[in-house]
Amino acid sequence: VFKGPAVFRAKRRTVVTTAAAVFVLLAAALVVTVVTQGSGDASANMVAYRVGQRPAAPEFTASSLTGTPINFASYRGKVVVLNVWGSWCPPCRGEGQTLKYLDEQYGPEGVAFLGDDIEDTPTQALSFLRGEGITYPSVNDSNGAVEQRLSLAVPISGTPTTLVIDKTGHIAGMIDGAVTYPEVTTLLRDAGVTK
Amino acid sequence: VTDVHAPTSKAAPKSEAAELEGEATRAFGTGPAELAERGSGGTSGPSGTGAGWGRWAWRQLTSMRTALILLFLLALGSVPGSILPQQGADPASVTQYFQSHPGLAPWLNRLGLFNVFASPWFAAIYLLLFASLVGCVVPRTFKLVGSARTPPPRAPRNLARLPLSVTYPSALAPGAAVDAAASVLGGQRFRLRRPAAGDAGQWVAAEKGYLREVGNLLFHLSLLGVLLSIALGGLFGYKADELLVQGQTFSDSTAQLAEFNPGRLVTGSDLAPFSLTLDNFTADYINSGASMGQPEAFNAGVTYTATPGGTAKKDDIQVNHPLSVDSAKVYLIGHGYAPVFKVTGPNGAAYNEATPFIPADTNSMLSDGVVKAPGASLGFEGVFVPTEYMADGTIESIFPAANNPMVSLIGYTGNLGMNSDAPQSVYQLDTTQMTKISGSPHLMSPGSTWKLPGKLGSITYVGTKQWVSLAITYDPGQIPALVCGMLSLAGLLLSFFVRRRRVFVRAAPAPGGIGSIVTIGGLTRTDASGGFEDEFASLASDIADASSPGAAPSPAAEPATAPDPNKTEPNKTEPNKPEPNNQSETGA
Repeated sequence: VFKGPAVFRAKRRTVVTTAAAVFVLLAAALVVTVVTQGSGDASANMVAYRVGQRPAAPEFTASSLTGTPINFASYRGKVVVLNVWGSWCPPCRGEGQTLKYLDEQYGPEGVAFLGDDIEDTPTQALSFLRGEGITYPSVNDSNGAVEQRLSLAVPISGTPTTLVIDKTGHIAGMIDGAVTYPEVTTLLRDAGVTK
Repeated sequence: VTDVHAPTSKAAPKSEAAELEGEATRAFGTGPAELAERGSGGTSGPSGTGAGWGRWAWRQLTSMRTALILLFLLALGSVPGSILPQQGADPASVTQYFQSHPGLAPWLNRLGLFNVFASPWFAAIYLLLFASLVGCVVPRTFKLVGSARTPPPRAPRNLARLPLSVTYPSALAPGAAVDAAASVLGGQRFRLRRPAAGDAGQWVAAEKGYLREVGNLLFHLSLLGVLLSIALGGLFGYKADELLVQGQTFSDSTAQLAEFNPGRLVTGSDLAPFSLTLDNFTADYINSGASMGQPEAFNAGVTYTATPGGTAKKDDIQVNHPLSVDSAKVYLIGHGYAPVFKVTGPNGAAYNEATPFIPADTNSMLSDGVVKAPGASLGFEGVFVPTEYMADGTIESIFPAANNPMVSLIGYTGNLGMNSDAPQSVYQLDTTQMTKISGSPHLMSPGSTWKLPGKLGSITYVGTKQWVSLAITYDPGQIPALVCGMLSLAGLLLSFFVRRRRVFVRAAPAPGGIGSIVTIGGLTRTDASGGFEDEFASLASDIADASSPGAAPSPAAEPATAPDPNKTEPNKTEPNKPEPNNQSETGA
C-alpha cells in the first residue's frame, strides 16, 4: 500500500506546528525581555541615605585645576556639595548656572562647593568655569583617581553626579544627572543645613 | 558446535520479533542519538484546558527539535554580529558605518544589529534555548540514573530469535550448565540476573557496558554545567570599553568607561578598582612588497596599579596577550591617532588636548575627528592623514604610520549646543547653530598655527599622539565552562564507544535425559564501534568450554559457583553451596 503522501502531510503538519510554537515562544520571550529591560531606567535620579546608613566619603588629597593642593580631610565639619563633572559633557555645562546660584545662596551658610573634573584638561575646564563665573574650586581629576574612590562608596553611573556630604564626612545623598535647585536643597536639608 | 548465525529476526514473524525486542531491549540505549527521538510525541494537540495548553507548550519547548531550531537561530543570529561592526567590540567602526551608510545604519540600529549580543531578540533566543535545554536535560538525567541502576531484563523465551545465538549440547544438567555460564560471564564483569524464586526455567541474563550510561550522565551533567557557567558569566561578568590616549590615565569606574555592559547582578562598585596609564604605543607595519602597509605587530606599554594607592607595575598589552589585573582581563582591540590641538579664543586659551580621531579607513589610517572649544565658540571638523599625499586636490594617506602627518580642518563659529541636557557624541560636531569660517579646508602640518579671520582666535596643531581602545572583561564562567565542555566531550566519547550488550543463557534438559541443550543469545543495540560479533563468539566458546566437564580447567570450579536463587542481587555468588533444588528441569 502506497502511503507516501499521507506521511509527508503528517510530517509537514508537525514541522508547521513546531515552527509556530517556536515563533510564539520567541515572540513571548521577546516581549518579556523588552519589558524587563525597559523598567531598569525608570528609577528616580535622586538617592537620599538615612542617618546611620550613610556611606563614608573617601579621604583623598589632590590638586585643583589651578594647582592648589586639596586635602579633603580639611572639609570635615562642613556640609559639602561635591559635583563630578567634565567640560566635554553637555549636561555638566547645562547645570553650571544652577550650581553657581546654589554656591552663592549656600556658601555664606557654611556649605562648601567642590568640583571633581574628570577626563578633562585644565585649559578646557577653566575656560568653562571662567565663562560661567563659577568660583569654587575643582579637583584636577584627569586620571579619575578621586572619582574611582567615590564610586567605590556610592554607585556613580556617569557625569554629572552630585554628592551631598554631611558634617561627619558621610554621604547624605546623591543626584544622578544634571541637578535641579529643589533636589540639592532637599539633600542639604537632610544634611542639616537650614536656610 | 558453535554456530553463530546472522540476525534471525528477519526470518521470524514480525509481531513476535517486535515483542521480543521490546522485552530484551527495555531501557537499553539512551545515547545522545536517541535524544533526537524526543519531542516527536509533542505534536499531539493540546487539550482544551489552560493546563493542557501549558503542558503542550512546555513539551514543545523542551523537545529536542525546538532546541535544535533555537540553536540554529542562535547561530544565525550571530552572523550579523560577525559581519557588522559591534558597538561593544569596536565602537569606532560603528560610527564609521553610520557615516558611510546614512540610510541603512539607523534601520540596522533599530533592529539592534550593532549590538547583537545584547539585543532583546538575541536574549530571547538564548533564554528560550536555556529553558529548553534545562527542561530536556534535568528529567533525562534522572532517567539515566535509573537506567544505569537497572538490572538486566529477564532472559527472553526463545534465544534463537536474538540477533546472535548459539546452541550446543552439554553433558551437565541444565542448572549446572547455567551456573558454569554465569561464572564465565561474571568473570568477564557482566552484571548478572538469575531467575527469582518461583520463576520457571534455568537461565542467566547478563549485561555489560554500563559505562555508556555513566558517559551519558556525564555528558548531560556537564551540559548543565556549561549552561550554569554561561549564566554565571552573564550574571556576574562584565564587559567594558575605554579609549586611552598616550600619556593619559584612566581609573576603572562606570563614569570613566566609554562603554559598560554589566551582567545582571553587577554594579559599578563590583568593577576591579585598577587604574592604567598608556605609556607608549607602537604599531609596526610592513614597509615593502605586496602587503606593504599591513600591520605586523602592536604593542601597548602600560603602567597599572591594581588597587587605589597600590604599587605601580609595568606590562605590555598585545593582540591576544591581554593584561590580567584583579581577575579582569584587559585586551587591546583597536588603535588610532590623536592630534594635539591648542585653541585660543577672544577670552584666552580654550582648548589644549590630544583629540582622538577615528579611522575611516584602517588600511591608510585616514581618520576623522572634531575639536570642540565651546569656551571660544569654535568648532572644527578635521581629517587626519599619517602619511600625506595630494591626489587631484584631495588629501589622501598612502601609509598607515605617521611618516608625514597632516590635518585638514574646516572651522565653524557659533553655539556648539553643548550647554544643554541633550547628550552629544564627542566625535560629532553639531553645526546647526554655527557658521563656516572659510570655504575650503585648511591644511596644517605639525607645529603650524591657523590664525582665524576677524578676532575669532587661532588653532595650533601641536603634534600627534596615538590612542588605543581597550576591552575590559570579567567572565567568572570561563574556566568552569571550559572544564564542563571538556567533561561533556569525554562523556560523549564514552557513550559513543562503549556498547550496552546483553548475553542470555538458557539450558533445557536434553531429549535423551542426560545433559542439557544450552542456548546462548546475544544482543547489542548500538553497534557503532563494531566487534560485538567477535566478542560474542569468544564468550560463547568460553561458555561452551566451561560447561563441558572434560574441558573444565579445574573440577572444583563448577560447583563452587552455585547461585543462591533467593538473593535479589543475582551477580553475587556464594561458594561451596549445594546446588539448589529447582523444582523443574533438573533432569536425571
